[in-house]
Amino acid sequence: MNTSLSEYPSSSVNLIVNEQAHQLSVRDHWTLLDVLRDVLELTGSKRGCDRGECGSCTVLLDGVPVYSCQILALQSQGKTVITIEGLSQNGVMTALQQAFLDNDGGQCGYCTPGFVISSLALLRDNPNPTDKEICDALSGNICRCNAYGRIIESVRSASGRN
Amino acid sequence: MPGALEMSESLIGRSVNRHHFPEKLTGDAKYSADLIMPGMLHAAILRSPHPHANILSIDTSKAEKLAGVKAVITPFNIPSGRLAVDLFILDTRVRFVGDEVAAVAAVDPDIARKAIDLLDVRYEILPFILDPDEALSKDAIKIHENGNLAIPEPINLERGDIEKGLIEADEIFEDSYYIPAHSAAALEPRAALAYWDNGHLTIWKSTRGVHVERISLSNALKIPTENIRIVGPFLGGGFGNKDETRLGAISAVLAQKADRPVRLEYSREEEFVAGRTRHASYIDLKIGFKLDGTITAIHGVATLNSGAYQASTPQMSRRTGQCMLYLYSCPNVKYESYPAYTNCPTAGSYRALGAPQGHFALETLMDRVAEYLGIDPVEFRKKNHVKIEGQPGRRTSPDDQIIDSQPVEGGVPFSSNELGQCLVKGAEAFDWVNRRKSNGSNDESKKYGSGVAIMIYRGGPGYPTGAEVRVNKSGEITVICGLMDVGEGMTTVLSQMCAEVLGVEYADVSTLFGDTESTPDAPITSGSTATFSAGTAVIRASTIIKDSLLALAGTALESEISDLVLENGYISVKTDPDRRMTVKEVASLMTNDYISSISTVDPGSTEYIVNSFGAHFVNVEVDTYTGNVNILKYVAAHDSGVIINPQLSLNQVEGGISQMLGLALSEELVTDRNTGVTLNGSYLEHKCPTILDYPEIQVIFADSVDPVGPMGAKALGEVPSVGVGAAVANAVYDAIGIRFNSLPISPDKIIRALYT
Repeated sequence: MNTSLSEYPSSSVNLIVNEQAHQLSVRDHWTLLDVLRDVLELTGSKRGCDRGECGSCTVLLDGVPVYSCQILALQSQGKTVITIEGLSQNGVMTALQQAFLDNDGGQCGYCTPGFVISSLALLRDNPNPTDKEICDALSGNICRCNAYGRIIESVRSASGRN
Repeated sequence: MPGALEMSESLIGRSVNRHHFPEKLTGDAKYSADLIMPGMLHAAILRSPHPHANILSIDTSKAEKLAGVKAVITPFNIPSGRLAVDLFILDTRVRFVGDEVAAVAAVDPDIARKAIDLLDVRYEILPFILDPDEALSKDAIKIHENGNLAIPEPINLERGDIEKGLIEADEIFEDSYYIPAHSAAALEPRAALAYWDNGHLTIWKSTRGVHVERISLSNALKIPTENIRIVGPFLGGGFGNKDETRLGAISAVLAQKADRPVRLEYSREEEFVAGRTRHASYIDLKIGFKLDGTITAIHGVATLNSGAYQASTPQMSRRTGQCMLYLYSCPNVKYESYPAYTNCPTAGSYRALGAPQGHFALETLMDRVAEYLGIDPVEFRKKNHVKIEGQPGRRTSPDDQIIDSQPVEGGVPFSSNELGQCLVKGAEAFDWVNRRKSNGSNDESKKYGSGVAIMIYRGGPGYPTGAEVRVNKSGEITVICGLMDVGEGMTTVLSQMCAEVLGVEYADVSTLFGDTESTPDAPITSGSTATFSAGTAVIRASTIIKDSLLALAGTALESEISDLVLENGYISVKTDPDRRMTVKEVASLMTNDYISSISTVDPGSTEYIVNSFGAHFVNVEVDTYTGNVNILKYVAAHDSGVIINPQLSLNQVEGGISQMLGLALSEELVTDRNTGVTLNGSYLEHKCPTILDYPEIQVIFADSVDPVGPMGAKALGEVPSVGVGAAVANAVYDAIGIRFNSLPISPDKIIRALYT
């Protein structure tokens, strides 16, 4: 998308996404999710609700998991964003992603990027979470396939508890 | 093919990782809303603010003048074709708040939405009806021209003589039940991308069946099917619920008019309101029984709220009654169904259709019968559940006919029926005999109880289904199927089956699915039929390919084909195993670029009814101060035949139960009585379960090999969702002594029942 059509106020924003610096012209009302998906074409972050309820758009903003649909692109000025596309290196999945694969931590996969990002933040801050801590950390992500049992198992496994 | 199970290297019964999951874990997997084309426009839909109205005119001039708008469509400027019997591409009558009125395509979503606001519509407001009984009354305003019955004739199925059965009964229990609408609410809102090239239309869209959608669009757009290609990218959750809407047609007409690609995405609220809901269902149920515990009569009458359009109402109506006709041995049964159009959001296909509603009524009323008779609920079910010989009575359908719909006749055995085993193993794992009535504390506010429910689901045999297996000169193996993997894992299971037949590794098989251009004809992924139907076709096609490979190898190894064996990736001579070639080496010998076999099967049996079964046990804690129900333990025992992939099956059962705990305890899509407006079209207010609501679930699969099913397998996808509401309601009764006849059993209902 471009920012033409002058009736929409626009601004320039600098941000680093998956270690790549961008200077972008964005409409002021666009969310970080709009910019990730529609400007940068990073479609791994999903637009499940666009209203801060489902967590399928979760990204790390300066290391903090956030709903990217609830952050204006302008608010991410100068910040660092990690999306699901930024996790694997040279096509090799992280141990966390591999744990989700091996433990079948999902079904249709639409919520999966959000769950992986939320789990990443959890395990970084708390490498050995209890089940209660896992569920608390992931309570902002909805999986409508309700693959919660396997998601919990995936995070347990990634934490080395199994 | 039970022998396959005994092979040490068998892929059947092995938990290989889910197909395509790596792409989903890295963000590479493309769903419909992720697709981008050069020059692509963005669409938005104007939806009706009225529950029932005629559209008199639409002034599009202001919208068309807005810079960036490339197409505006209304019922007055597009073809008048029908997508379904009662669904035009756009209609001059709107029938619920949220019904489609007009649509716009513009260079970006901001402008498309702005253009929608500039459309000026004049409505003639009509009286509206939200209640199905009222809709079926004589003087009700007609929502569709043929009246408000949403199917041509009411459903009326009877086996034996219901009047006789009721007369023979010592006692008759009867009650009325209500299950509300709720939404499948898949994480992926529906989306489509339409593109025209020289009179040929391509649509990538959220779909559960590309071939069926192509026929529907061909009828609506009045262009031949060969000019339409439908592609299903990855699907972000199906639950039977994608799609039955105008999504594809609207994007196609906009793209045609704008002469550019158009992408249309539903918002979350549109998904809730204008997607398709479960049918709100009123069920009157009567059970006649003798004091020795024998059931003499079961009579169910369902009044179903179809909402504004028919969608899957005919199939749903029958599903509601299946358990009444078939779950308990009973010579005299009757099921009647009256689905009605109303001005509520449209009900459609959602996981197990009407089965959860039917089971909720039947399994809670049966619990009352058992209690009255003083028989343990599990023992009562062991005595009375339908056994492998099927129902008493005589077969009425022709002997040479595949019993693929819902038979009402008796005298036809099941292909397999391990419901008894489910009850025994489930009760043992749950420790039913010693089930808890307290947690040992003195906290009087908490009450504890346990409940059981059994379930039956006609799944497996579906419609004629084709699958192709192809091996190219490089030895690459591809399973090609027209069905969609709706998130359940069909492509994983089909790959396992193909690899098993061809004696190769699971990783050696890739899949191509959901594309009308490259896949053989297939129905929609529905009714828990994919493993059974497509699986049968894949096995047949793979077997033919195997024979071709053996023939090639026979020449190269100078051996009779009958002396060759294919396993572990090699074709070898039985008597001289050192004379062997890899499948790849054999494939390189083919003269053409590839060999291929397409097999189309009409799945099922003329001798047996193929059904899946289950028994659920649940222990709950009811907080009598807050009304909260906490699930402490859940045991689910299932007979789905041979389990092809235990890990995926476990996930499927756990997920089905957890999803339906939403219907049991918290979910309902609420329509305002005064305005017809949906009041809670959001995750927050519809109250879908989160990970915090996920209970301890133990899943048990019965030892079962179905003689009809592919490699012994039967249906699994929907069965786990069928009995959850009833099991929970029975457990809540056990805890606090109150029978709830409607779902969800939400805290407010519990508090009201306890204190008023």
